[in-house]
Amino acid sequence: MAAAAAGSLRRAGWRLWRGRAGLRCQLYPPQRALHASAALRRASDEKKEPLASSPQQQFESPPTDPQPDHEPQGPRSSYTGQGGQESEDYESEEQLQHRILTAALEFVPEHGWTAEAIAEGAKTLGLSGAAAGMFHNDGSELILHFVSQCNTKLSDLLEQEQKQVQLGKTEKKPTDQFLRDALEARLRMLIPYIEKWPQAVSILLLPHNIPSSLNLLTSMIDDILHYAGDQSTDFNWYTRRAVLTGIYNTTELVMMQDSSPDFEETWRFLENRIADAMNMDNTAKQVQSTGQALAQGLMGAAVTISNLTGLNQRR
Amino acid sequence: MAAAGLGPARPLLARRPGALRALLGLARGLAAGPQTHFGFQNVSEEERREKIYQVFENVAEKYDVMNDSMTLGIHRVWKDILVHKMNPSPGTLLVDVAGGTGDIAFRFINYVRSVRERQLQQKLKRHQNLSWQEISKSYEKEKVKPLGDSQVVVCDINKEMLKVGKQRAQHLGYSEGLSWVLGNAEELPFDDDKFDVYTIAFGIRNVTRIDLALQEAYRVLKPGGRFLCLEFSHVSNPLLSRLYDLYSFQVIPVLGEIIAGDWKSYQYLVESIRRFPPQEELKEMIEDAGFFKVDYQNLSSGIVAIHSGFKL
Repeated sequence: MAAAAAGSLRRAGWRLWRGRAGLRCQLYPPQRALHASAALRRASDEKKEPLASSPQQQFESPPTDPQPDHEPQGPRSSYTGQGGQESEDYESEEQLQHRILTAALEFVPEHGWTAEAIAEGAKTLGLSGAAAGMFHNDGSELILHFVSQCNTKLSDLLEQEQKQVQLGKTEKKPTDQFLRDALEARLRMLIPYIEKWPQAVSILLLPHNIPSSLNLLTSMIDDILHYAGDQSTDFNWYTRRAVLTGIYNTTELVMMQDSSPDFEETWRFLENRIADAMNMDNTAKQVQSTGQALAQGLMGAAVTISNLTGLNQRR
Repeated sequence: MAAAGLGPARPLLARRPGALRALLGLARGLAAGPQTHFGFQNVSEEERREKIYQVFENVAEKYDVMNDSMTLGIHRVWKDILVHKMNPSPGTLLVDVAGGTGDIAFRFINYVRSVRERQLQQKLKRHQNLSWQEISKSYEKEKVKPLGDSQVVVCDINKEMLKVGKQRAQHLGYSEGLSWVLGNAEELPFDDDKFDVYTIAFGIRNVTRIDLALQEAYRVLKPGGRFLCLEFSHVSNPLLSRLYDLYSFQVIPVLGEIIAGDWKSYQYLVESIRRFPPQEELKEMIEDAGFFKVDYQNLSSGIVAIHSGFKL
């Protein structure tokens, strides 16, 4: 009975998570590949004089950092359209957008998470600053891009660590140490932008950005717990994620206020919160077992009393 | 340019929609050939260019007054929205095609100036311990270059419109970063890959070969440059559309006669709006010219629409 309930819970949770994955795809909808119109443009270029430095050559190079995390998983029908031409040498609109955003990160410390930073980034790619108009004015896409990039980096890092453990090269860390290190690694990615991070947090909390930012946050926490070896299928699945999300967010807030060298205070805070959570887990277990013992004791007492009063006598 | 739709069209639309559609299809099919349309008349391309030239020659003097009275001043809001959408940063090179009286150009200059000022203030805030001299020096630099290399080129085919624009610029005190060029949108007198932004506000409707104009826009833009087009479009709400038609066909030519003393030109304006391709169709045309990420935003329920695209 209890097992069945746990099973259905797990399935529900899985479905929820799957739904989220679907949402993630929608966040970055597969867009019309550049390919089709690039072919068109080539045709029209041939009609006119050949452009000395055709812009598509610049973009033909494969993207510098592939981000499987937000590549849409759906089939890209448009990729193979248009005369059956192979389109690998054309970069999709979306990849170009990612490249612009990646280039823009460099200018965030100076300009903040703004269209200006994106414009500067576009300029480094040889594009006009007006290309920043492709993105929302509030800079939310830049922030979300940064967050998802960090998440990808973190999950790559954790994967490597796991491989090392599997190969027997390193010892497996105790869970609290692992969680601490993972969160620290993730938070350290914010250091270059820490001056402007409060701005980013406030933008991420705008109502229209909440679904996407929450989605990125939960997927990161999910990754960490996955590599931490969490295999819970019961209600703990939710509590663990909730607790870890809370720790991450509060530590992030502490970090923004922290002026100690190398954010020592922050890491101490993080360690304490993880320890608290571990203690809480233990306490919860203790309470549970105490409760069970108590219940058994009470049952025993009840049976004894009923025996004493002779209610249990069979005649 | 300004506003809206027309009396004769109403019955035509209501009673013989099929016939009208056929007519429209015919007109568009022939656009590539010598035949085209001028309002609801069919004329040759040459004739159309001449007629449109005459229209704007006639209305140039009263153009701004008419715009205000026909749209009740709302055209200013639309243009503000366009420039806001453009969000130009200092250093942007803008070409405003068919921008004769400089409405977009002046707004662009104001916008860039204010962005520039804000940036300077932020900069000063960041270095709080600047000395007196440094602050005054940065302000001086600001005075020399209030636009930060931004430039706007106004290109119009009509001399009269340009003349009015130049007069206005003089009157309003705009001079720096502003130039006026006589040129046809179908063959712009500029080099390839020159501008960051191309705008055409209430102008593309009067271009005889829209496809050529779009190709030219693509040519003169830098990679990453943006194409923005503000134009009258089609109202989807049936009730509003009826009101709009009534207003444009019954009120606007009358206004034109009273204020500008020119019924025909305003009759043409209204008719040409009805002949102009609807939002989706124009979007496809822009995509065909090679632009990416083309989308449009309806303003005032689709009375006008802003189309935007990027050259990548």
